[in-house]
Order: sequence, then C-alpha cells, then structure tokens
Amino acid sequence: MPRASIVVPAYNAEATLDETLRSLVAQSFRDLEIVVVDDGSSDRTPAIARSIGDPRIRLVQQPNRGLAGARNSGIHAAKGEFVGFCDADDLWRPTKLARHVAHLDASPQVGLSYSGSELIDADGRSTGLAQRPRLSGVTAAHVFKRNPVGNGSAPVFRRAALDAIAWRPAQETARDWWFDETFRQSEDIECWLRLALTTDWDIAGVPGLLTRYRVAPGGLSAALDRQYDSWERMVAKLTPLAPDFMARHAPAARAYQLRYLARRAVSAGDADAALARLRAAFAASLRPAFEEPVKTGVTAAATLALAALGTGPVDTLRRAAARRTA
Amino acid sequence: MIRIAHLVDDTNPGGVTRYLDFLSTDPRFGFAAHEVIAVEKNRAGAVQTDAHIIVSHLAVSWRGLPGLMALRARHAGTPLVHVEHSYSEGFVARNVNARRRFGTLLSAAYAMFDRIVAVSQTQGEWLVRRGLVSDEALAVIPPCVDLSAFRALPAPDGPVRTVAALGRFHAQKGFDLLIRAMRASSRQDLRLVLIGDGPDRDALVALADGDPRISFAPFAADPAAALAQADAVAMPSRWEPFGLVALEARAAGRPVLVANVDGLTDQARDGAIAVAAPTVEAWTTALDSLGIADDAAPRATGREEAAALQWMALAADVLAPQAEGRAAA
Repeated sequence: MPRASIVVPAYNAEATLDETLRSLVAQSFRDLEIVVVDDGSSDRTPAIARSIGDPRIRLVQQPNRGLAGARNSGIHAAKGEFVGFCDADDLWRPTKLARHVAHLDASPQVGLSYSGSELIDADGRSTGLAQRPRLSGVTAAHVFKRNPVGNGSAPVFRRAALDAIAWRPAQETARDWWFDETFRQSEDIECWLRLALTTDWDIAGVPGLLTRYRVAPGGLSAALDRQYDSWERMVAKLTPLAPDFMARHAPAARAYQLRYLARRAVSAGDADAALARLRAAFAASLRPAFEEPVKTGVTAAATLALAALGTGPVDTLRRAAARRTA
Repeated sequence: MIRIAHLVDDTNPGGVTRYLDFLSTDPRFGFAAHEVIAVEKNRAGAVQTDAHIIVSHLAVSWRGLPGLMALRARHAGTPLVHVEHSYSEGFVARNVNARRRFGTLLSAAYAMFDRIVAVSQTQGEWLVRRGLVSDEALAVIPPCVDLSAFRALPAPDGPVRTVAALGRFHAQKGFDLLIRAMRASSRQDLRLVLIGDGPDRDALVALADGDPRISFAPFAADPAAALAQADAVAMPSRWEPFGLVALEARAAGRPVLVANVDGLTDQARDGAIAVAAPTVEAWTTALDSLGIADDAAPRATGREEAAALQWMALAADVLAPQAEGRAAA
C-alpha cells in the first residue's frame, strides 16, 4: 500500500496532462500512487495517462461529473494514508510530496498541509507572480477571508481528516462525497472551510512555492459573476452550519472576495467590472482596507487608473496588484 | 467499603446532574459509597474529603487550574479521576480559535489526574489524537441514567408523525438548523416539537416563523414523559461529548436522528440514524425519510450494568497501586 496518493482530476487535458504526470512521477518521495480520474474526456486524456508507463499510475474513468466529482472518485479510489491533489494542468515541484509527508509525519494534528504556489502561464512559464499564504496559526476565519490553501493543487490531506468531512447525499449510491459536487466553482474553499468549521484538524502550510499553478489569461465579466455567485452559494450553504461565525466574518470575507474579483477584472482590462466590484467590496466591509491597506490601495489605484487611462499605463500597477494573490 | 467523592460544579438539571443522581443512588453502583460534592466554580482546591477516590466532573478552565493544583496537592495520595463532560472535537471546532493554547490548558489540567474518563469512544479517540491524554491514562465510560422508565414506554404506533428535539435552546444543540430543515420539508404530516428553554428561544421562535408544523414546549423535568408524546427524536447538535437524550430515545424505542459528531457518532454505531452532513438539505432529507418506527428496535439494554462495571473496573485499577504498596509494607 502506497503511503501517499495523488489524485489528478482530468477533463480534456491532453495539452497539459503529460507534463503534469511527469512532474508527479518525478517526486523525490517515491512511495506513492497517482490516481488519474478521466472525467469523461473526449480527447486523448486516457491515452496520455496510460502512455507514461509508470506502474504507480492508475486510471479511473467515469462519465463527466465535474471537478468535485472527479476529485471524489479519486479519493474513493485512493489507498494512501495521505491524499494530495494536482489538477491536470498544474505541476508539482519535485520535493513537494516529500515536504508534505514530513510535515504530516511530524505534526499528527495537521489534517491539511499546503504550500505556496508559483503562477505559470499557458506555456508553463513563470509569470513572476505567486501565492505566498500565511503558513501557521490558521483559523477558520483565515480560511474564509484569505483562503491560505490557495488552489486545488496545493493541499495534501491526511486521509483521516478527509474522512471526517465525508458524507453521502441521498441521491448518491456509489460512494461518499468529500467535495460538494453541486458546486461548479468554489468547491475548493467550501471543502477547506467545512473542514475548519466542523473538525479539530489543523490546517497548516510548509514554506516554499511547491505548486506551479497555471492561470488562464483574461476572465470574462460573466465568468467573474458566476464565480461570485458560487462563492455566495457557499456562504449560504455553510451559514446554517455556523451562523455566529458567518454573521461575524461574512462581511469582511465578502469584501476580500470582491476585491479579488476586482483585481481579476483589472487583469482582464475590464474597468467597469473592476469599479463595480471595488465599490461593492468597500460597501461590504472596510476590514480589508485596515488589515491589508497597501494591497487594497494598490487594487483601488489600479482600478481607477484603468478606468481613467485604459490598459497601457496600468501594466505595472496591475502586476503589483496581482502579486501574492492572483 | 470504598468511598468515591464526585465533584461537580454544574448543578443545572442537565445530563451531568442526572448521571450523578443515578450513580450515587442506584444499587448497581453499590460496589462503593458515592458522595456527590457540589464545588463552587473554579474552587476545587477547597474540597475536603477523605474519600478513597476523587472523581472530578468539573469544567476545566484557566481560572480553575489553581484550584485543581490545590486539589492535587491536598490529596497527594488519593487517586484523582477526571470525567470530561464538556470538551470534544465539535466543541473545539466551533468555539476555540487559539487551539494550541486550549490544548495547553487541557494538558495542564489533565496532568493533575491519574485517569481521564472520556464519555464516548469518539471523544476518547480525539483526546488521544490531539496528544492530550495517553492511551494508558484514558478510560471510556459512557454515562447512563436509569432507563427503565424509557424502556417501559410502548413503541410508537404507525408512521412517524411527531419529532421531538429536547435540550437547551443554545447554538450547541443546532435546533436552528433543524427548524430550517423542517421548514424546507414538504411533509405536511410531520410535526416538530422543540422542548426546552434557553438564550436562543426568541431567535428559534422567529426562525419557525409561524410554521404550523413547528411548536415549542417548556423544559421537561420528566424526559420519559416527554418522549412518550414523540414518535422520533432529532439531535442536530454541533457538539455533544456524549448525548444522553439519544440514549434515552433509543431506550424508548424511538428512532433518533443524530448529527455525525462526537459522542453521537458512537450512538449511531449503536442504532441511532446518523445524518452525515450538518446541512439543511441533509436534515430535510433525513426528516422526509422518517418512516415507520421499528417496534423491535433494541432498547439500549444492559447500559446501566455496563456503566457500573466500567466504574468498578476503573476504581479497582486506580486503587491497585495502593493495595500493592500496602501488601509490600
């Protein structure tokens, strides 16, 4: 039985899967299995998974269920004591798994170990941007407001912690759910926050940018709206679970979320959307302005410059605005 | 005869009080003489007793720590046992931000005791996992009361109509979640009765918003009589180190829906119905699927005897070193 499993949800990922899997088979920690979940791809995804030729790769195929459903099938199939996730377009640094295994071995109370991420572009080149989250003393409020786990290719879970948040909805007959498959976005943060709100497993990070996380350029306004809607749905779902917590932290978390979406709109060059989000962020809560004045100010400046001057002159600000949290 | 002193600082008419009433008077616990000593909050140091074993049912707190040290110092040769009625994984998840500091508190308090008694297997596993209690120092003894009045209730007749929720109207019990789930339920034949009182009463009434299927009843001094009026019981608690109501409901032959948390996880292994997700949707589904109560459901038999035997074994265990000491001398 391998000590660690890496779940790779893959949907029509022929362009990137090979590189992803090569980064995983090259992990310095060797006692692992890689569970590739082909989520109903119509391209060469399964063929690529088979072509690597490493016996530690297992392929699970299913009709399309979405990212959460693919991850859940991967967790269901995983045999390791630790379960990590790497989306089929992201990459792991060679020492990533070793660092998380050492962390989880040394800290029996940590249920979710994560790291920072370097952001890469469509060609796998570094963008110079990174997610450098807080690594210790993480509370549910931090998870909700700042999502230190960052992205779906950053965490390695202890299996016992995953199983503490498993459930089986009435319509599901085959296996449990860990991620909520009714979400098409925000399924990550919903899972991390549910872990923080309902269990006593610690969420903690290890230093280093151990994940290389691919960001798609742009981001249409409609897509950002959908992202915000799913975030609000996550809040609505978890509010009955912890009403006091939500009453206390939702306004600030909402402001952070809107600020993030304003930055995404700046990156996409959509001044109107950025302005609207920024206004909504300030209306929701002034906490981000107090807790992170520089970043909030840079976001505001970039938004206003974009609105006044167009895309050219704000490139510098834009990069500054996107630094640390894309 | 062995004398055991039980220290308690919560004399509200809740589960702990009823547990201590039971074990100090029930003949099945007659292997020892049990004395219940009411302790002023955080003043365990003032306790004077020459009992052979001292059992703390106190709530651990920073302010109470000096008192526990004094208790230990004053009774240096007496085995000290602590029963953890208050804290559990669910409690910490919902209430504690500074988890490391909280762990330090529990470790410091537990260090005063020879044994720590968990009130459920799940709570015990959490205490060990968090490094708060060693395997050797841990005992698991689920609390009990005299269940005969519950077992004497006839099984509910026909399909489940009335679901009862009993307990303090406080965030812990999750009755807000239950009311939301009931309001989302399409079953018009179902009734939900919330029995109790507490700080959240007005908020819960407001949440029910006049739904004619939901009603409120005052605190029940006689829980068996309250359960007689119900066909099923719901416990959507956010934390629950043990969950006496679930045990009583099972003894009464009532189907009982429980949150999948802390001691209620144990109860689900013993026949309660676990609602795995703490969401409105999951609870609505659970309410909607309550069918006909199984009149052949086991009635939590032998629990009183088991609790008595476990206490007897624990008493013998903590007194053994002293007995050996005397034999050697």
